[in-house]
Amino acid sequence: MIIFFVLPLLLTVVWSVFERTMFWMEPAFTFFSYENFFFSSRLENFLSSMFHSSISVVCAFFIGFPIAIFIRRRVRKVAQHRVMLLFILPFMVSEIIRIFALRPILSRNGVVNSFLMDMNLIDSPFSIFVFTPTGVVIGEIVSFLPFMIFSTFLALEAIPNYIFEVCADLGVNRRRMFKDIFLPLAAPGLFAGSVFIFVNGIGIALIPTILGGPGSVNAGLIATQAIIALDFPLAMAVSAIMMFTLMGLLYLGHRLFNLTKLLEPIS
Amino acid sequence: MKKSNAIEVKNLIKTYGDVYALNDVDLNISDGEYFVLLGPSGGGKTTLLRSIGGFIRPDSGSVVIKGKNVNNLPPDKRPTSMVFQGFALFPHMDVAQNIGYGLKLQSIEKNIIDEKVNKMMDLVGLTGLHKRKPHELSGGQQQRVQLARALILENDVLLLDEPLSALDAQLRKDMCIELKRLQKTVGISFVHVTHNQEEAMSVADRIAIIADGKMIEEGTPQEIYNKPKKQFTAEFLGEKNILIGKIHNLNKSKIVLDISNDKIEIANNNYDVSKNQEVSVSIKSESIQIKKNVKSKTNEKNSIVGKVTEITFLGQFVRYLVLLSNDEEIQVRSSEGVDNIKLNDQVILNWKLDDFILHNE
Repeated sequence: MIIFFVLPLLLTVVWSVFERTMFWMEPAFTFFSYENFFFSSRLENFLSSMFHSSISVVCAFFIGFPIAIFIRRRVRKVAQHRVMLLFILPFMVSEIIRIFALRPILSRNGVVNSFLMDMNLIDSPFSIFVFTPTGVVIGEIVSFLPFMIFSTFLALEAIPNYIFEVCADLGVNRRRMFKDIFLPLAAPGLFAGSVFIFVNGIGIALIPTILGGPGSVNAGLIATQAIIALDFPLAMAVSAIMMFTLMGLLYLGHRLFNLTKLLEPIS
Repeated sequence: MKKSNAIEVKNLIKTYGDVYALNDVDLNISDGEYFVLLGPSGGGKTTLLRSIGGFIRPDSGSVVIKGKNVNNLPPDKRPTSMVFQGFALFPHMDVAQNIGYGLKLQSIEKNIIDEKVNKMMDLVGLTGLHKRKPHELSGGQQQRVQLARALILENDVLLLDEPLSALDAQLRKDMCIELKRLQKTVGISFVHVTHNQEEAMSVADRIAIIADGKMIEEGTPQEIYNKPKKQFTAEFLGEKNILIGKIHNLNKSKIVLDISNDKIEIANNNYDVSKNQEVSVSIKSESIQIKKNVKSKTNEKNSIVGKVTEITFLGQFVRYLVLLSNDEEIQVRSSEGVDNIKLNDQVILNWKLDDFILHNE
């Protein structure tokens, strides 16, 4: 834990205040890298990537959670895990290829646009699907949706079957079922899935690199670019800022929703 | 005045593949009656209860509750509430929320719900535990919450599916007394499924023995225990002393039974049997007197000779295993040990004519 988790995080913070040299960095105590971040378009990019990530989280919730509920309630017990395996299949393909494959699907004359045109649903192709923040959000949803389904399904799987019988006996309708049963009991899973998607949304450089345009740079990409430019302290600073932002958000979430209560094991 | 029927079950059949879970079951349960479905696991009693509750759709037959055919109604539309096996509470809700949830669904005002919840919690003995979560409660308390959650809806029938099976023996005894008291207080019919005969005897007004998807027999606990009509019932209730024989002779008051090497006499309580018919008879181990014998034959009536093969001290009782000449073993429970009887001794067993019960199936 200390070697693989705490130490790298500490080093990140320590290195972020070092001074940049030609090819590496030297010990110092300077906030130059932080100034470099906060007084440039990087800050703006960082904030917008947080915003886009949030959208991905919300979309993944609305798509993934109903799928998980469906699998829990409507698929036979023995088949449930096989269905879950289907969502692992995409991971057999390298992430780069998977995301790259979205380009011909989403581009101006790609599969989606051709289909919509052929169906006479639109007159001219949508151009917002790739090389835009929308493209990045779509890419994130496609990549990370399985995680939302996994984590919420695991939480739903832990709900004992008798709960549904009690509901049948009391006459709980679908809306009530969602609000009173699924949402609170799957909360730990929803939380885990959401954090995972949010963190990856701002941290993974690959998706904006391949699907994003000039306006869609996330924290991961900023750090990657900094490393390519051999500005290691800046890369470290970006990582440290990401880390502190997440810790801050978790704390805020904790104060607002009482995470301990939310994550209270269902027993 | 005859009580009206709360539940009428007619010709109920339910199959799973080739297996009959319920095979043409008829059942009538009166208003305000504590009715127990007793039988071995997998015998169909839970299937029967769940058919009454609407959780299982039978293949054919009908369920009528309070004069209304409920065959096509889902559980929540039937005038029944269910207490489930195990601790079936909503884990994320506290005690008061669990109990009041059914009323909340009916959009009843909050202060009315609170009032009813309080009353119900007092009734089942949960006073002051409003804010506890299910995992902070003991097993007995969790079942009380289930009871309250079901009773608060004020339905006509309460169905209990092995409600005490997850509790330890002492707690089960206490809860039996409470269940009976609760049923008398609320006055509605309780239908209680269990495989535990002691539990069944202690709560029931009437008991039905269910096995192999069939209703074996029904009656009051006294009838079922003291005078079981069927051999299965006697066996299920733990009767060890079952002898099979052929009717040698009979008249209005007596039947003489031929059990290979010996003959025994039993009282004829209007049994529907005929000469040479093969029947089984049973006798409670505590109804037999045992004494030492020096001769190998006995001329006494209502008696049989045998050899002691085992003596076990059981605290309140001493149990003797006696081997008869036809290689059958008879258990005798004596409240005080008979001093001079030792292992391998020849003994005479005596009984009152009435103590043997004949099962004609």
